[in-house]
Amino acid sequence: MSPELQMYLAQGIHGLAYGMLLFLVASGLTLIFGMMGILNIAHASFFMLSAYLCVTVLNATGSYWLSLFLAPLGVALLGVLVERFMLRRAQASGLGHIAELLLTLGIALVMAEAIKLTWGTEGLQVMAPRSLAGLVNIGGLEYPIYRLFIIGLSLVVLAVLSLVLYRTRLGTIVRAAVSDPDMVSVLGVNTRRVFMLVFGLGTWMAGVAGVAAAPILTVFPGLADQMGMDAFVVVVVGGFGSLFGALVAALFLGELNAYGIQFIPKLSPVLMFAFMALVLAFKPTGLFGDRE
Amino acid sequence: MNILETKALCHDFKGLQVLFDVGLTVRQGEHHAIIGPNGAGKTTLFNVITGTYRPSGGQVLFKGQDITGLQPYKLARRGLGRSFQITSTFEKQTVFQNIRMGVMSRMGVRFDCWRRVAGLDSVARETEEILASIGLTAEREVLACQLSYGKHRALEVSMALATNPDLVMLDEPTAGMSKEETHATVELIKRLTQGKSMVMVEHDMDVVFTLADRITVLYYGSILASGPPGEIRENQAVRDAYLGDMEFSNVF
Amino acid sequence: MKRHLLWLMAALAVLIVFPFIFGPLQTNLMVRFAIEALFAVSLNLLLSFTGLLSFGHALYFGVGAYGAALILTHLEGIPLVLAVLLSGLAAALVGLLLSPLLVRVRATAFTMLTLAFGQLLYVLCSKFREVTGGEDGIMGWTTPPLRLPGVFSLDVTQPLYIYFFALGLSGLGILAMWYFTKTPMGSVMISIRDNQKRVDYLGYQVVLTKAVIFCLSGFFAGLAGAIYAVFNNLVSVGGVLHIMVSFQPLMAILVGGIGTFFGPILGSGLLLMLEEATQAYPELAQMISGLIFIAVVLFLPGGAISFGARLRGWWQKRAYLRKAREIAA
Repeated sequence: MSPELQMYLAQGIHGLAYGMLLFLVASGLTLIFGMMGILNIAHASFFMLSAYLCVTVLNATGSYWLSLFLAPLGVALLGVLVERFMLRRAQASGLGHIAELLLTLGIALVMAEAIKLTWGTEGLQVMAPRSLAGLVNIGGLEYPIYRLFIIGLSLVVLAVLSLVLYRTRLGTIVRAAVSDPDMVSVLGVNTRRVFMLVFGLGTWMAGVAGVAAAPILTVFPGLADQMGMDAFVVVVVGGFGSLFGALVAALFLGELNAYGIQFIPKLSPVLMFAFMALVLAFKPTGLFGDRE
Repeated sequence: MNILETKALCHDFKGLQVLFDVGLTVRQGEHHAIIGPNGAGKTTLFNVITGTYRPSGGQVLFKGQDITGLQPYKLARRGLGRSFQITSTFEKQTVFQNIRMGVMSRMGVRFDCWRRVAGLDSVARETEEILASIGLTAEREVLACQLSYGKHRALEVSMALATNPDLVMLDEPTAGMSKEETHATVELIKRLTQGKSMVMVEHDMDVVFTLADRITVLYYGSILASGPPGEIRENQAVRDAYLGDMEFSNVF
Repeated sequence: MKRHLLWLMAALAVLIVFPFIFGPLQTNLMVRFAIEALFAVSLNLLLSFTGLLSFGHALYFGVGAYGAALILTHLEGIPLVLAVLLSGLAAALVGLLLSPLLVRVRATAFTMLTLAFGQLLYVLCSKFREVTGGEDGIMGWTTPPLRLPGVFSLDVTQPLYIYFFALGLSGLGILAMWYFTKTPMGSVMISIRDNQKRVDYLGYQVVLTKAVIFCLSGFFAGLAGAIYAVFNNLVSVGGVLHIMVSFQPLMAILVGGIGTFFGPILGSGLLLMLEEATQAYPELAQMISGLIFIAVVLFLPGGAISFGARLRGWWQKRAYLRKAREIAA
């Protein structure tokens, strides 16, 4: 394999890894939007908080695996509390979806500042666990194992999510709600508890992504803005509420990002927004969505 | 002369065909009702004619001109008004303001940002006249969302008429009304559409047979029969199609 | 009506004597208030009157500010008022250019698209240093005096004159927008907020109306940006295009009262006071903003204006009860 081809290939897998990570974040966002009609502006903040929690647990125990378990759980718990004590109230404010957007925006700002106050503003490094460090040789291509692990982990979470969605009662209700929001109340289920669970599940997925991302991205207070923008673009481009759309958009954006940095570094952040504007210009509901 | 005519109109949703070569004709000045069992495609036909969907085939002619797939606002300006099955007013505005929106459009006051809307005397006068004719003068300052269901529906229908269209299309004008409210609304429609062309989709057969001069029966996306009420009542195919439909069999 | 006019005259009198009574510090604060209020009211045209939440209004503010900075730097001898108006028009033009995309989307998609455009310009302006000076921005141009040949020539770098310049322009702008909401087109705008589909079926061109609103809102946001540029003699991406610049007027609207015309002006004033009170802790600014968003949505969705109404309601109830008690006694 020529070195040039190798480089392109490596860049491609990089894009895949980032795309899967992005999907992990965006799918939680999509799930919440599809179910509750709320675009959670603070979603990426939960992602960032989880990365910081990962640093703390890692420093205290030295175990990456423990932090992979604990940090998302902590974040999910916070998510449930936010849903229970804030979002519910906001929905009763009579301002419609504007109230939810502004509320979650407020939460995002507060979380960003709280994180700065707690962990400081300097970037923190997280080491990948020893078992996942180093390179692996795939057909003559040296590639970091950890990035492959991210792809694998995302697939596992995706599988778990599919199991929950297609094999449990909760999943049935969620799918019914995503395709027809009015159905939920008709079904006579305790909608409020389902909403709480879904919101928790969504933030948990952001949390898993946060821990997974910590070793490859520097953990710093701007992490949420960076990931948040990308995730919003994925949700909008893929189509509000469409998980499949989110997957396609995330993978595409991951690659766009990877090759964009390679060829036009100055304009690579612009590409993403331009792409989003282009999609919305031709299909206002996103590629695979049918809601606004 | 036909004010509205559809030629071989077809429509499908993602491959599921709902309308098959529908050729509807509505004569100038007539009151026309479209009926048919649930799922016959009445509402789809309605929405295709009024520009909500673009038909997948065929033509819609209005006053002899092709209006197929034109945007709603263009249809409205050519003189085709419509009301909605699910009440669709400006709920946070007063009854007066709701009707005024229709009157302003009729008078061509659309892109005016130099004058105060409250200072447009002719618009205000027309609006008051319409309010009086629909019996909502007392409620002129009431928010639309605070009206009783029957009055809210009456406002819905009146808004379509406030633009003074040449043809008004009413989508189930008496949907969900009590007997008294239905009766009052039928009287209102009769009065307001006198001498006008009107097309309506309606489930209530009493309403249909009171208001319609001609009836078109839609069955599985095709026209089964079209004619004056008496003829439709006697039509064997229509009777067969409605067999078991209590609503209809009561009428016979 | 007469009482309103009386109040207006009184307010006008206070504003005119203000800079002569208070020092330059307070006068400059009022200039910032004028800029913020104009900016907030322009955004409110979208939020409260068209029902669209924008997360990228800094885009127009930034175009206006950069426009003024570039014009004043490169076109020497241009009259000040013309420079400021041209900057506003540049922002309106941006609104017009984006409107084919913006009119198509609603609700959350609109919010995301405005966010994307805002960020897009932020990134572009930070990267293209040749024109915008990048992170450092543009500064140090000589601002021409505000003059009417043969009548007066005022140096607007003086606190007293920038005060009248800013308040005058801002006041006229707000007045113009207020008048717009009262015109037939204003009614169409409000009706689009309440029920876009119906407006369409009544024969109004929703797309064109929205485009006009985007231009109008963009123009006045740009005007606010241009006044900002003249006032600060410095324009940088962080100061005029950062996402917090988009959130600031949003906060003013929320604090003052969504759905009202004058709420955002009140909100701008309250926020400025809060900012002054907490200026010793700049690192807490973002935290405070966040808490304000949360607190208002959860506890006072009607904003400060509704607080006044509530207070009045409570007062009336009390008076009523007292009267009832007296009668009972």
